[in-house]
Amino acid sequence: MTRNAEAALLVGAAIVAAFGVALVNLSRGEGIDAQVALTFVVIVASFGGFHLAVRQWSPEASPYLLPLAAMLTAVGFVEVYRLDRERASLQRWWILIAAVLAVSLLLAIRRTGLAPLRRYRYVFLLSGLLLLLLPLLPTDWGFPVRGFEQNGSRLWIRFEAGPLRLQFQPGELAKLVLATFLASYLSERQAVLGVQSRPLGRYRLPELRQLAPLVIAWAASFVVLVYQRDLGASMLLFALFIAMLYAATGRVVYLTSGGFLFGAGAFAAWLSFTHVQRRVSAWLDPFADFSDTGYQIAQSLFAFGSGSLSGSGLGLGTPDRIPNASTDFIFAAVGEELGLAGSVAVIATFALLVAVGFGISIRSRDTFRKLLAGGLAFVLGLQTFLIIGGVMRLLPLTGITLPFMSYGGSSLVANFLLLALLARISHEERA
Amino acid sequence: MNQPLRRLAAALFVAFAVLILDVTYLQVIAGPRYRDDDRNPRVIASRTGKERGLILSADEQVLAESIPDPNDPQRFSRSYPEGELYAHLVGFSSLNFGDDGLELVYAGDLRSKRDLTMSDLLSALLGGDLRPKSIQLTIDHRLQQVVHSALGDQRGSVVAIRPDTGEVLAMVSNPSFDPNLFLGGEAIATRELLLADPSEPLANRSTNRTYPPGSTFKVLVTAAAIESGTAGPDTLLPDPLELELPGTIEVIRNFDRQTCGVGTEVSLQTAFRRSCNTAFGWLGLQLGAEALTVEAEAFGFNQVTPFEIPILNSFFPQPSQFSNDLPAVAQSAIGQRDVRATPFEMALVAAAIANDGIIMQPMLVSHIFDAEGKVISETEPELLQRATSPSTAAIISDLMERVVASGTGTRATVPNVRVAGKTGTAETGIGPPHVWFIGFAPVEQPTIALAVLVESGGEAGENATGGSVAAPIAQEILAYWVQNNG
Repeated sequence: MTRNAEAALLVGAAIVAAFGVALVNLSRGEGIDAQVALTFVVIVASFGGFHLAVRQWSPEASPYLLPLAAMLTAVGFVEVYRLDRERASLQRWWILIAAVLAVSLLLAIRRTGLAPLRRYRYVFLLSGLLLLLLPLLPTDWGFPVRGFEQNGSRLWIRFEAGPLRLQFQPGELAKLVLATFLASYLSERQAVLGVQSRPLGRYRLPELRQLAPLVIAWAASFVVLVYQRDLGASMLLFALFIAMLYAATGRVVYLTSGGFLFGAGAFAAWLSFTHVQRRVSAWLDPFADFSDTGYQIAQSLFAFGSGSLSGSGLGLGTPDRIPNASTDFIFAAVGEELGLAGSVAVIATFALLVAVGFGISIRSRDTFRKLLAGGLAFVLGLQTFLIIGGVMRLLPLTGITLPFMSYGGSSLVANFLLLALLARISHEERA
Repeated sequence: MNQPLRRLAAALFVAFAVLILDVTYLQVIAGPRYRDDDRNPRVIASRTGKERGLILSADEQVLAESIPDPNDPQRFSRSYPEGELYAHLVGFSSLNFGDDGLELVYAGDLRSKRDLTMSDLLSALLGGDLRPKSIQLTIDHRLQQVVHSALGDQRGSVVAIRPDTGEVLAMVSNPSFDPNLFLGGEAIATRELLLADPSEPLANRSTNRTYPPGSTFKVLVTAAAIESGTAGPDTLLPDPLELELPGTIEVIRNFDRQTCGVGTEVSLQTAFRRSCNTAFGWLGLQLGAEALTVEAEAFGFNQVTPFEIPILNSFFPQPSQFSNDLPAVAQSAIGQRDVRATPFEMALVAAAIANDGIIMQPMLVSHIFDAEGKVISETEPELLQRATSPSTAAIISDLMERVVASGTGTRATVPNVRVAGKTGTAETGIGPPHVWFIGFAPVEQPTIALAVLVESGGEAGENATGGSVAAPIAQEILAYWVQNNG
């Protein structure tokens, strides 16, 4: 596929977004207004700018990344616009900001490539841990950066300077930073970690020093779970860690012991924390406590059921009945208004994007780039699976965003940067 | 290193495949169950919020309409401008309690079909109209208002029917409630209050409550007597002070505990005019249970009357249920004991006499209009059943006219109009009697037949009779109607 075809597909995504906004307007009995043009311009400007930056500084990058992400962003934006006009205009700003940051990243590493990311790995580890722990900052101290709690989870920091108030979910970025650290660390330690361990009868036990990083990651995830009450980030980071360890070493023992640690941790969490118990009971039977814990997931199921095959049509359903529809539950809104046709299309687009990511990883010759691309593709796919499975009651709800589609600046910025990294990796392999 | 990466990728693709299977299950297989769940706010929203058609009276008064939300022209709220006057008839379309009354029965016509279901889209493609339809009732709004004010605060019911077509002209059940209160946020609290109210405002007394018909039932006994040749208007019947009932120490007395005539014999005509219980008790025994049951069923007792709004069956015991209990036969002949009738049924009885013995199929909805105002369906008058022969009906009509002219029903007299009627004062055993008046006018070409029922004597209490309480109500209604439509 040529760069020009990529550009045409990006314009196609912008047209989809503009038509979606127009349909939402018409369903409300409003006319075609400036929102339609504005949406078209913002998608073209952000993804067009991203595209030009790729042409300029990573010309050999895979041409499949941007069109898939642009389509998801477009569909997500239309649903956010349908649910909450105010959030939609903020979301437009965030799409632009995220694109500017992704372009800046490509610009910053245009000469050096990914080498600095690899070199300063402990800086990344440290900043990753810091990012994760930032929301634990006090809510009411003098410093303008404060942690705060929302919907029972402490995932946010708020930056306040005079009238300016900026909220950010640093955990979203932590997944990129930790993937970078792990790719760098594992590409060097791969030999040590992959060594055959001492036999015990038929079984091989892993060495203690091999298990140490696993236990550390497990403990860090547990801290996130306990102190921030963030099931999603906790699971995601632990799974990322296990997956990259397994990718680097090819040793199934990391998967099994990781799975065991996860199971034990999950069981302990279920025993000890009411917020975990509530999630689990809402998952097992949302209708048992319909008016309270089960309410959100039940509303989500109603939305999917009402959507049926072809959906209610944009703007014609009532996905606004689902609490947090524009963030965690955006996929339920798609299911209701675009029907099975729309929800399957969205899942398929995510699957393609994840496939492109793994393709980049598998074609990479350099271990660092291979692991980084694999880690990023994995975390993107797993996050998608966890939240879509959560809103469909296939899995307990974990409360993370749906990449590119949910409302929220942190999530958009993190996933645009993820795209930029994948683009750069694919460029370096071919250049 | 590629093999573990491939495995991770494969694992995620399996996960995505599971998502696609699950979303298919959720939206298509389990979908309808979630879609139609009562707790699904969309189910509730589809009942309200959407436009529904108009409900109009025969004289084009708006009884129910959908008013667009000023902030959202796609959303409508239902309104019942006439409030409690039509609560039992028009019913309501409530967010909390679903549809009721005509709003329920005609929901298919009244609702907008623009909800984008596949079948509706198909019908739209084939040229069908998805917009809501409107319905027009046979009810005359001004007559309904007259009836309502004539009843006043008394508990009871009035049903007025046009005898030759079966059109229901007015139907009021008192006390009532404001259906608008069932639409808003206070709906549940309102319903709790109404359910707790001892005067039962939610009950439709016209169709869903039965009462002993008392002496109005003598119309049917007379019809049975004439049809069987047992007696004619001039046949002399015994006139004792007390009718001794065989096999018991129970007796039947006349209302004023006097004899009906001079105390020896009395003509059927006089006995009917003065509503003599002793004579009719005796006549009932002469006719026997079998004949009485057959006659009651010919007039519509013990059977479902097809109608837009469900009507509770009126009841007359089967011959076997009397099992030679002769006192019960005599008491049933004067409309007491286990005999029960709805006001609607007694209105049909009056209409049958007015219409040469024929009961027309009662109707409440005359026209259905499409959104353009074009008539798409019109109800034609239809024969329901023959209650009695034309000659018997003519004789009874004459007897009933005498009741109003110089009998128990004189207070139903309308100047210059020939009014026929029969009063009833049904003992309940506890508290004041339920009082009745059934009748029609003008006798030469009846345009209205009615039944008036006032529960527990109304404002008159213990002293109430059909003649003193129910007949004046009928008088107001008949006077208004004949003046304006006679």
